[in-house]
Amino acid sequence: MLKWLKYTSGIVLAALTILPNIAFADKSDDTIVVAFSRELTNLDYNFGTKTEYIILGDLVDDSLFYVEPKTLAYVPSLASDFKIVNDTTVEVNLRKDVTFHSGEKMTADDIVYTYNFIMQDDQNSRHAKISDWLKSIEKTGQFSVRFNLKEPYANLFNDLYRVRIRQNGIMGVEGNYDSNAQATSLNGLGPYKVVSFDPGVEVVLERHEDYFGGAKGFPAIKNMVIRSIPDIGTQQAELMSGGIHWMYSVKQDLGTAMARSSRINYQIGQSLRIGFLVLDAGGYSGKGHPITDVRVRRAMNHAINRGSIAKHLIGGPAKAVHTACNPVVFGCYQDVAQYEYSPEKAKNLLAEAGFPHGFDLDLWSYRDKEAAQALASDLGKVGIRVNLKHGKLAGLNKARKAREIRAYFGTWGSTASPDTATISNIHWRAPESGDRNLSGDPKVNELMLSAERTLDLKERKRLYAEGLTLIADQAYWVPLWTYPEGVLSSSDIIFNQDPDGYPRLWNITWK
Amino acid sequence: MLRFIMNRLLVVIAVALTLSVVAFFLLNIAIDPAQAIAGEEANFLEIEQVRERYGFDRPIAVRYLEWFSGLLQGDFGTSYYWNKPVYQLILERIPETLTLALMSLSVTVLVAIPLGCAAALKPNTMIDRFALGIAVSAQAIPNFWLGLMLIILLAVIYPIFPVSGDKTLYHFILPSLVLGTSSVPPVMRLMRTGLLEVMNADYIRTARSKGYFGWKLLIRHSLRNALLPVVSVLAVQLGHKFGGSVITESVFAINGLGRLALESILGADIPTVQILVFIFAFTFLALNLFADILNVYLDPRLRK
Amino acid sequence: MNIINKLTAKKDLRDMTPSEVMLRKARTHKGFKFGLGLLLVIAFLGFIAPLFISVSPFEQDLSMRLLPPAWVDGGTWQHWLGTDGNGRDYLIRILYGARISMTIGLGAACVGMLIGVTLGIIAGFFGGWVDQVVNYILTCQLALPGLLLAMTIVFLVGPSILVVIVVIGALHWTLFLVVARAATKRIRSLDYVTAAQAIGASKFQIMTRDVLPNLKNQIIVIFTLEVGVAILSEASLSFLGVGIQPPTPSWGLLIAEGKDALFYQPWLIILPGIALFLLVLSINMMGDGIRDITDPESNIE
Repeated sequence: MLKWLKYTSGIVLAALTILPNIAFADKSDDTIVVAFSRELTNLDYNFGTKTEYIILGDLVDDSLFYVEPKTLAYVPSLASDFKIVNDTTVEVNLRKDVTFHSGEKMTADDIVYTYNFIMQDDQNSRHAKISDWLKSIEKTGQFSVRFNLKEPYANLFNDLYRVRIRQNGIMGVEGNYDSNAQATSLNGLGPYKVVSFDPGVEVVLERHEDYFGGAKGFPAIKNMVIRSIPDIGTQQAELMSGGIHWMYSVKQDLGTAMARSSRINYQIGQSLRIGFLVLDAGGYSGKGHPITDVRVRRAMNHAINRGSIAKHLIGGPAKAVHTACNPVVFGCYQDVAQYEYSPEKAKNLLAEAGFPHGFDLDLWSYRDKEAAQALASDLGKVGIRVNLKHGKLAGLNKARKAREIRAYFGTWGSTASPDTATISNIHWRAPESGDRNLSGDPKVNELMLSAERTLDLKERKRLYAEGLTLIADQAYWVPLWTYPEGVLSSSDIIFNQDPDGYPRLWNITWK
Repeated sequence: MLRFIMNRLLVVIAVALTLSVVAFFLLNIAIDPAQAIAGEEANFLEIEQVRERYGFDRPIAVRYLEWFSGLLQGDFGTSYYWNKPVYQLILERIPETLTLALMSLSVTVLVAIPLGCAAALKPNTMIDRFALGIAVSAQAIPNFWLGLMLIILLAVIYPIFPVSGDKTLYHFILPSLVLGTSSVPPVMRLMRTGLLEVMNADYIRTARSKGYFGWKLLIRHSLRNALLPVVSVLAVQLGHKFGGSVITESVFAINGLGRLALESILGADIPTVQILVFIFAFTFLALNLFADILNVYLDPRLRK
Repeated sequence: MNIINKLTAKKDLRDMTPSEVMLRKARTHKGFKFGLGLLLVIAFLGFIAPLFISVSPFEQDLSMRLLPPAWVDGGTWQHWLGTDGNGRDYLIRILYGARISMTIGLGAACVGMLIGVTLGIIAGFFGGWVDQVVNYILTCQLALPGLLLAMTIVFLVGPSILVVIVVIGALHWTLFLVVARAATKRIRSLDYVTAAQAIGASKFQIMTRDVLPNLKNQIIVIFTLEVGVAILSEASLSFLGVGIQPPTPSWGLLIAEGKDALFYQPWLIILPGIALFLLVLSINMMGDGIRDITDPESNIE
């Protein structure tokens, strides 16, 4: 027994002394390492929803259209040009110089196959409900396709951007599709190809040397590794010790402190994300609660010092918002009722509504704990005694579905989709098909969603204006502030943040 | 002996089964699997579709039996979150957890046994007090805090060790220190008392009277006898480490079973959590059984 | 009679009553004295001192966020230990955290004691199949990955101080059970218990009147140590975000909140960690001390 112990401890000791050989990837081998907070568990963006998947998807995949970051307009990517024939017919011509990572040329067959597959397999695809608007897609030539729509659809180009093109037949044949065909290895069209994938740990990418460039441009760096590091503290430490080159979602306090080191740069800019409180005006969680009274909801709007929280806590270019959308996106009408910070007005309104001594409120949140506490504190000052229920998203989802939520603190990223439709589509659905619209007001649903069925830009804007005005008047939400996007990067690389805050990683270059 | 082992083995299986029932019911009540699969942005209809497609609308007991019969046929289920078979997930992550468990056990052994011996050899001296001080302190330090402190000190201020990850064995040193520390107190105390007891035993006194003293006596006679119960405690501690590395693995970003368990709970991934509970329980029980057998083997009085 | 006199009088150990022996041991046990002293200081700081400080642990001043402790560059004596990410005074939050930790530690240990001692006495008293059933429950509990269970339950019920107390208590009763069972078995076979049974005392009476008082010393030792364990458990749960809810200042939560600032404001982690360490240390040293003191075999030099 003693001998055995001696041997094992000997081996362990020996192992400890031999190992220290950690290789850091860097410029010499043209490899950049970026960190994500959330795990990537599936390579196929068509089946993921989170921001991390959108970023990965833009690296390894391509789609017909793409959001040009400077103007936030949709521009052709795999498409060479397009023609809107009428309200329900769109013709798209394709580039002829596009190849898959496997080397085969992309043709109209791949486009038709992808859309047919996604339409058939809509229940598995987690984001774009293509079948809501797409009647059929047909091949009109080797490099041209035609989309036949069921009804006019305003956010069409966003969906054409979201759907990543797959090679003909790669997901199986009709009637026998396999959603997981591209989950762990991927044959895409994007600027980078997947070399290896360890789910939840890392994705190793290599430049696709035959990439066509196009709207995204040709990447400068040959190898890219995406590591999942859930802990932001660990990410910082890795950045300081040179283990990673790039991390994002970094708050200002941290960013400026880290940037004191000459080896680290910090950028903070605007993003499309906004924060808001959703209030159960419709009384889904039980009738007769104070929050069903519009005066109480207005009081809550007056009670929160958005400007101060945005300035001190959120930091960077964060600004107070008064609409249920980010002011920079299309259709986000700004001339609505604004509730300035005024605890007195809030208290008066509460008293008027019959709650001079305030009331108790469970406030749910899952993100941004500091801001949630600041909100609770502000509401507390006018007499609304907040019991903060800050937890994991799964818990909030469950409670929301069970209609147990009176108020929650939510945020919405609208990642790379600069249109009011992106936030309104999910938040103002009819109560039968969604659990986020707590207004109890069918008019809101009607206005906000009919805008999506309208192609005429002026009419769309009018519908959004009317809807957003109604939301503000009735104070169905407490719109809070815009969120900035902060990025820490090693001074070895050049990364320029785009105005929408969405990181386009293929644009990174060495210094 | 064989009967004893058979009996205990039955208990192990029964307990593991009981726990799997408890876990299955609790998880399915706490988390809505349909919502978990449908995803964060799914609407009502989609969730209901998923519920029907996966059969979550059927009674929980029926689903448990289904799960269990699958398990008997070697089907561990498929993770909702990672989109792949659970057995594959687990196999991928066992090496990390095993490495961490064994390395932290080495830390425990390397610290606790020499300290325990030294304390027992010189009871009520500075050395003894020092050893006890270490034990008492180690007991009072929160694991996650120790991990963060070590990162600040040994990975950032003095960048000797990597901050996180599990690429090389070198990455495992800090987490092993953290996890190993938590087992030092019980092992050290046991080593000390065991050794003191043995040294007061008759045959050691005889040896002493024959002129053996100090380290020689310690190694030749006492240590062997005192070490055996320690080994059985170490087996139990190994079981703890196997399932107890949840926080340490998260702090140091080690992709082992502990972090998998945490992620699966947060990601509402019931099939994975389910199997993990089973595995943790089984490992713990098996190692305990091993410790018990060792005890019986050592103590002839128990052998009958 | 004056207690002090009685204690200072040099009496022979054999002439003293058991409680006198204990008191005397306690007075000479350094670890116990240190632990008790430290605990009293922490309790004072946690429960009494905040009464004299006008700052509230919940009062936020967003323009005074993340100040370092007063003695560091940029600190101010207005906030001795600086402020947290919401501009709340860190000193008062840490002081307040002592209350939370102690409340939860005591509460959870009580829950654990209730479960463990009850099961232990029943198992030890009845023996046979009852003992085997209890043993089975014990094995299940030991094999259960506690943290996972705790997280699931908190998910299920929603977090609150009461839930955390009950969950932690329900996961920490095994030591109570083992000790209570062994002691009950021993006591049950003693003459006076058999005599009590013979004169017709009910089982419940025997368990509560004869068995329970005799377990007292051992239970106190386990209880003290379990308070420490429970405090650490609460900190771990809160650290993972499934324990105490913000803005309540639990030390585990403070460490979790400070984690993002690991590299530029490390005191946000260091300070509550030290507080946690000292509290658990004091309790453990007291527990070890009580064990030595109540152990009739032990001699303290």
